[in-house]
Amino acid sequence: MPDFPSLAAVAASIRQGTVSPVEVARHHLDRVARLDVRLRAFITVDAERALAAARRLEDEAGRGRWRGALHGVPVAFKDLCFIRGLPTSCGTRTAEYFTADQDCTAATRLLAAGAVCLGKLNMTELAMGALGDNPHHGHARNPWAVEHCTGGSSSGSGVAVAAGLALGAIGTDTGGSIRLPAAACGITGLKPTYGRVSRAGAMPLSWSNDHLGPMARTALDCALMLRAMAGPDPLDATAGSHPVTDYVAALEAPVRGLRVGVPQNFFFQGLDAEMEAGVRGAVATLAAVGAHVAEIRLPDPQVLNDITGLISRSESSALHARVLRERPQELDAFTRARLELGLGVPAYDYLQALRLRARLARAFTREVWSEVDVLAVPVIPEPAPPLRAALEGPLEERIARQGRFSRLTRPFNGLGLPALSLPCGFSAAGLPLAFQLVGRPFDEATVLRLGHAYQRATDWHTREPDLG
Amino acid sequence: MSENKFQQAELANLLGVIERLAGDLSLAEEPARFAAALEDGAPDAGRVAPGAGSPR
Repeated sequence: MPDFPSLAAVAASIRQGTVSPVEVARHHLDRVARLDVRLRAFITVDAERALAAARRLEDEAGRGRWRGALHGVPVAFKDLCFIRGLPTSCGTRTAEYFTADQDCTAATRLLAAGAVCLGKLNMTELAMGALGDNPHHGHARNPWAVEHCTGGSSSGSGVAVAAGLALGAIGTDTGGSIRLPAAACGITGLKPTYGRVSRAGAMPLSWSNDHLGPMARTALDCALMLRAMAGPDPLDATAGSHPVTDYVAALEAPVRGLRVGVPQNFFFQGLDAEMEAGVRGAVATLAAVGAHVAEIRLPDPQVLNDITGLISRSESSALHARVLRERPQELDAFTRARLELGLGVPAYDYLQALRLRARLARAFTREVWSEVDVLAVPVIPEPAPPLRAALEGPLEERIARQGRFSRLTRPFNGLGLPALSLPCGFSAAGLPLAFQLVGRPFDEATVLRLGHAYQRATDWHTREPDLG
Repeated sequence: MSENKFQQAELANLLGVIERLAGDLSLAEEPARFAAALEDGAPDAGRVAPGAGSPR
């Protein structure tokens, strides 16, 4: 079995009988055992139950019973998804930091489609932090250069997929936490529309900005996962009843004529030169596959960043006040400072921010989606920085550095728009470059379709890190 | 700048943004309009179909 197959390829091989669910599970568990001491993608490996599940699925396949499109596919979940029988640390020192009445809906839906859970994945403490460090469980390591950041907060999800330890992973994204590690680790990650995937059973950080979504090697893999994860959920009132598209079938529609907007303002300002070249190269490829590319001026994204940040700070402090009050010494200084900031936000300003967010979302729809179908923008301002450099210096420098690293993703959390991060090259130092495609609300089908067309025309997503 | 002063400056900046923008919010502009904005902006909300080449 190849070390870096796509989820779709393995699912097809299992269906054809050329490889069995147990073989696939063993292959990935062997890789975890061999490589994860160094990479630190997992917080909990659930090998025994994974193999038991794979045996059941193998037996069912032998009797012609198929659970779904992910039958026998090994995946893993960010360690803020509650799964009975496994601890949910949320990246903190406390093994059972978060519990829920029901298992995480998104994870349950993947398992119902036949996926096998290998375990729970590393993340930054309480899903705060854009770079992927974790003082309690060990810093996740970038498979492309282990001394560099992975991006966060879904650091383990990015690493596990990039290193071929799992074929897909659940990440969460409150300010970029799916797209940042996807970009830094050279994989594909989708933050769906707000409400597209249920948040039930996942630790909340900011109920207004939290999104769950798939991380995998390709847009097709993400489409397969999203099709299983999406849809309304009685356990989450914000999970919208908007119809779920067949995201996989929709990939085959033509992209010719799609209008792709490239912002003139904000997104390319201060961007690393290699990153800019990579993103502009990706835009040229989109034009080559038939998209109409046009420049566009966006409503000020920095205002969106500020409003989204204020809402997130306020809600996260309310949600996690208990640990801050009772056990502050257990928290990393960065996390503690972020939570303390939220305590200082007056209710008046929080509520005005929510009202402004609604206004800005409406304005964005009116001004942007009347002109283009998709936006193409960078995800991270530079290739993944060295971990040591990211963590050094006084706390205020660390905070400012993390804010800069997520400044290109946060606007789309505030707007609730679907955004797909795709690899688009490598720096001279061998670190992944990435861009994101952003679409209309509930139009994941279009960003996935264009991403799929891009990946048909390029091979960045097929590159493999040298892990020895 | 010390940690405390940095945090205070960051908070003051965020509150300043609200102060600057919230003044002309109308009474009808409630937070719930965010969900409506998402629904209204969806491609099947009767506006523009993706790739349909709508008027520029």
